[in-house]
Amino acid sequence: MTISRGTLVGPPPATQSTGDPAILAAGHHEDIVVGDRMVRFRAYTRILHWGVALTFFVCLFTGLPIWTPIFGWMALLFGGLQVCRWLHAWTGIAFAVLAFVQLIHWAGVMRMGEADRRFVRLGNFLAYMRWETHDEDVGKFNGGQKVLFWLSTLAALGLLLTGVVLWFPNLFGRELQRISLLLHDITFILFTLLIFGHIYLTIAEPGTFTGMVKGTVTTAWARLHHPRWYRDVTRTRR
Amino acid sequence: MPIQGLEILQSSASLRGQPSGMRRVPFVSKYIDTSTCIGCKACEVACQEWNDLPSVPTRVEGTYQTLPTLHAQFWNLIQFREAEVDGNFSWLMRKDQCMHCADPGCLRACPAPGAIVQYSNGIVDVNPEQCIGCRLCEAGCPFNVPRFSAKTGKMAKCTLCVDRASVGLEPACVKACPTGCLHFGTKDDMVDLGKERVAQLKARGFTNAGLYDPPGVGGTGVVTVLKYADKPELYGLPANPTVPATIRASKGPVRWFGLLSMAAVVLGLVGHYIRFGPRTPPGPPPQPEPQKGEGQ
Repeated sequence: MTISRGTLVGPPPATQSTGDPAILAAGHHEDIVVGDRMVRFRAYTRILHWGVALTFFVCLFTGLPIWTPIFGWMALLFGGLQVCRWLHAWTGIAFAVLAFVQLIHWAGVMRMGEADRRFVRLGNFLAYMRWETHDEDVGKFNGGQKVLFWLSTLAALGLLLTGVVLWFPNLFGRELQRISLLLHDITFILFTLLIFGHIYLTIAEPGTFTGMVKGTVTTAWARLHHPRWYRDVTRTRR
Repeated sequence: MPIQGLEILQSSASLRGQPSGMRRVPFVSKYIDTSTCIGCKACEVACQEWNDLPSVPTRVEGTYQTLPTLHAQFWNLIQFREAEVDGNFSWLMRKDQCMHCADPGCLRACPAPGAIVQYSNGIVDVNPEQCIGCRLCEAGCPFNVPRFSAKTGKMAKCTLCVDRASVGLEPACVKACPTGCLHFGTKDDMVDLGKERVAQLKARGFTNAGLYDPPGVGGTGVVTVLKYADKPELYGLPANPTVPATIRASKGPVRWFGLLSMAAVVLGLVGHYIRFGPRTPPGPPPQPEPQKGEGQ
């Protein structure tokens, strides 16, 4: 077993432990190599991500039946539209708070670089969707993931602001209430489409999902998808 | 609970259906002649009495008006306005209440199935059992009528005394009016009555007199005779009320765009998976190190 970046990892995980060393290391450390795997997301990162995801989906499933009666059946999952009405608002607050914490956590690593801008150029992105590109300069997150992050954060802000207006319309006036309803709808539609894409690419790229569940990915996966991240992490190898 | 004796023409957040037509009823309307209103507030009292509404604490603002604005427990408010028109001082009264639009913006904006209904006689009513208290009806109303009660968590407004109307009685306010400025009947009859009165007013020099029955909301179930119909703003009435464009957009094209784009994206992604499949998982990584340094 090899643990790289010795500065980050002290002695191997607790001696009595019989667990998978990579997964144990993923509890507290990320961007390290453990055997044939790499820790992509430590526990804190993952809890944050899944907190955002959970509150997002509760908001989505309580919001859709309010948006259109076509999804009225979803309200029954929560005990009816009356429940959705308050659950949506309070979960929305939780979602915005978690999205903000996630922004602080990821703002630095999500800064767009030259390679990222190249990645999201339309031609390049379409080529990527045909599984045709391979860019040696892709870091821990590719340009698409970074754009997703920034758009999601922007959407969270927009949904929060318009949501608060809709919650307390008397404080903001009738016209702002009307505009907020329209913007809340448009923002959530575009955001949901983005999330569909986000989930799909996790399904279509085998080996990715485990990074956000167990925290670890294989080194082979990292070399294919995030070569510069792989090099950066392994460069410090003794 | 909806009135049993009347069919439902439209229901909020529900598919548009047509009533069976088994019991055809004409649209009803309330007629208000602001030129003969003396501001006695008998209609306000009658409304509170019939609908069992408690009195609402008020504020004295140097006017005869009972409350500054409508309230969840006060559905019929005589507004007092002073105006100078063509050099003449005028004391204008208006009966502020739900207008029972033929195309109700509140009903369009409401997301709760059946919380706002329009009966076959055109009356727009609220069903508190279905109301979720989201207040979107406020956004949909061009007349600023629906009121949210923090106490009940529900919306409330004038019902045009649908419980009375459905058994052939006039609304409580009409019953109480001492000057005869209020009448109740079929929409056609009330419009005729209004035209008659407008002609009288015109003959007496009010050349701009007219009937307020705004077409932007498909006409209203409350028609109002105004001495200065060219300037309804003097009475606090919007000149060209319509269902707000933002509400029509979000409940129409935007919602369709959302549903279709979501369906399209899901289908597109399924198609992508069929065409391109999952990206081939990387094989065993090239391992130059062990090969070179075998003897290490």
